[in-house]
Amino acid sequence: MSRRQQESTVLFDALGPRGRRNSAIASLISAVVIIAVLAFAAVQLNAEGFFEASRWANPLDVLVVKTTWIPAILDTLLAFVLGSVVALFLGVVFGFGRISRFALTRWASTGYVQFFRSLPLVLLIWVTFTIDGRLGFTSEVLGWSGDTRRLTFLVLGLGIYNGAVLAEILRAGVAALPPGQAMAGHAVGLRHGQVQRLVVLPQVLRNMLPAVLAQLVILLKDTSLGYVITYPELLHSAKIVGNDYGRSYLQALIIAALIYFVLAYALSKLVVLVERRLRKKTAAPARAVQQIETSAVAE
Amino acid sequence: MFDNFDLMVAALWAGMRTTVWVTLASYAIALFIGMILVVMHVSPALPARWAANAYTQLFRNVPLLAVLFIMYFGLPSVGIVADNWVWALLGLGMYTGAFVGETLRSGINSIPLGQAEAARSIGLTFSQSLGGVILPQAVRVVIPPLGSLLIALVKNSALVLAIGVPELTAQSRRLIEDTQSRFDLWGVIIGVTVSYLLIAFVLSYLVRFVEKRTAFVR
Repeated sequence: MSRRQQESTVLFDALGPRGRRNSAIASLISAVVIIAVLAFAAVQLNAEGFFEASRWANPLDVLVVKTTWIPAILDTLLAFVLGSVVALFLGVVFGFGRISRFALTRWASTGYVQFFRSLPLVLLIWVTFTIDGRLGFTSEVLGWSGDTRRLTFLVLGLGIYNGAVLAEILRAGVAALPPGQAMAGHAVGLRHGQVQRLVVLPQVLRNMLPAVLAQLVILLKDTSLGYVITYPELLHSAKIVGNDYGRSYLQALIIAALIYFVLAYALSKLVVLVERRLRKKTAAPARAVQQIETSAVAE
Repeated sequence: MFDNFDLMVAALWAGMRTTVWVTLASYAIALFIGMILVVMHVSPALPARWAANAYTQLFRNVPLLAVLFIMYFGLPSVGIVADNWVWALLGLGMYTGAFVGETLRSGINSIPLGQAEAARSIGLTFSQSLGGVILPQAVRVVIPPLGSLLIALVKNSALVLAIGVPELTAQSRRLIEDTQSRFDLWGVIIGVTVSYLLIAFVLSYLVRFVEKRTAFVR
């Protein structure tokens, strides 16, 4: 906020009476245009019966909420939590694998990161699920039910893909850490593993927490890809509700989108909060990396 | 392993062309929307800033798949009907546009205030300092993140299979679920993986090329 004000005072000059009037006129015009667009959309939607009470009330019936929406939210959150755990674990393993002392570990980790970062997540989820279906491993050998299998492969896909992204974030965090930290660790007699575990990792995790959390917001949104293997998450359930109440199809999808919005928005607010908390403690170079990373991760 | 190799390659090649085409077209839409958003973000008109902010928050917090579903399956119920590829391009473009807008904004913010102050102090006008000093630097700063947005868009474009656009992932799915089972599972998986790696490789080479051409030392 203050940043923008600073910038505009430099870029725009302090406005004189005419400038202020122009700016007021611009505000007015843009307000009128935006309101006109929204009003036009509302009138059109109204004419098509978008706001009809029954169309909204039916998919939000108590019974539907109990049997569909709440389980769907819980299933989405379950996939999110499990996926995050797997992704964080793989991220730490391969992030530090990429800067290992052993060439073989480095190559393997680089291969993992580059390979899984270039494949679409939806392909990853669906292909692993299909391979398993052909081989019949989880269904016949382990005897898992359909929904357990779906959850497993959704979590696996989310974890493997986001693990590769998190590995890159953590590697950037290690690179941004002043080398004196590791040197000081060696100087007091810690072995390499101890330095990484006790000195480097805690600082990197703290410095990169905003970027990691931003990636977890993306992971939350990506749980919707469970749709391709018919995992009963929010979007899938919204389509089922939409099929049951044919006239409320759009409304059911919008309700699902709103739930996603609330969940993701709350999580991203947490990111801002953490960022603000950390700003005082974090070293300057690490902060620069955070900005790059948060703007770069969009997938 | 590679049964009916020629048929498989033909199908994957068609899918690859669709993927690349959809990616580039929706990226153009995204750049356009992103530019409008950043102008609204830095404009002195408060309502325009609010609108840009609302748009950005909306598309950053709703899954792309939900956006595509609302467009393709939902909008016909209020009388808005279009082909699936129209919604694919619009959905991908509008979604990515929010991220492009944020990237461009952070690019402008990354230029030190001293640059603008220096431009003002030698007497450049607003448009001169913006066009001659700020924007040329901001554009170079945002090229790497814009490049990673393009590569992310390749992967996101796989989602349009859900509304029936025959891109690469959809093609591989069609091959594996072929009713006469003419294709081997592993052959198709290797084929589609190689195709995606190829696209990612070529695009990241291009991005790095542009980066190198525009790199500068501050």
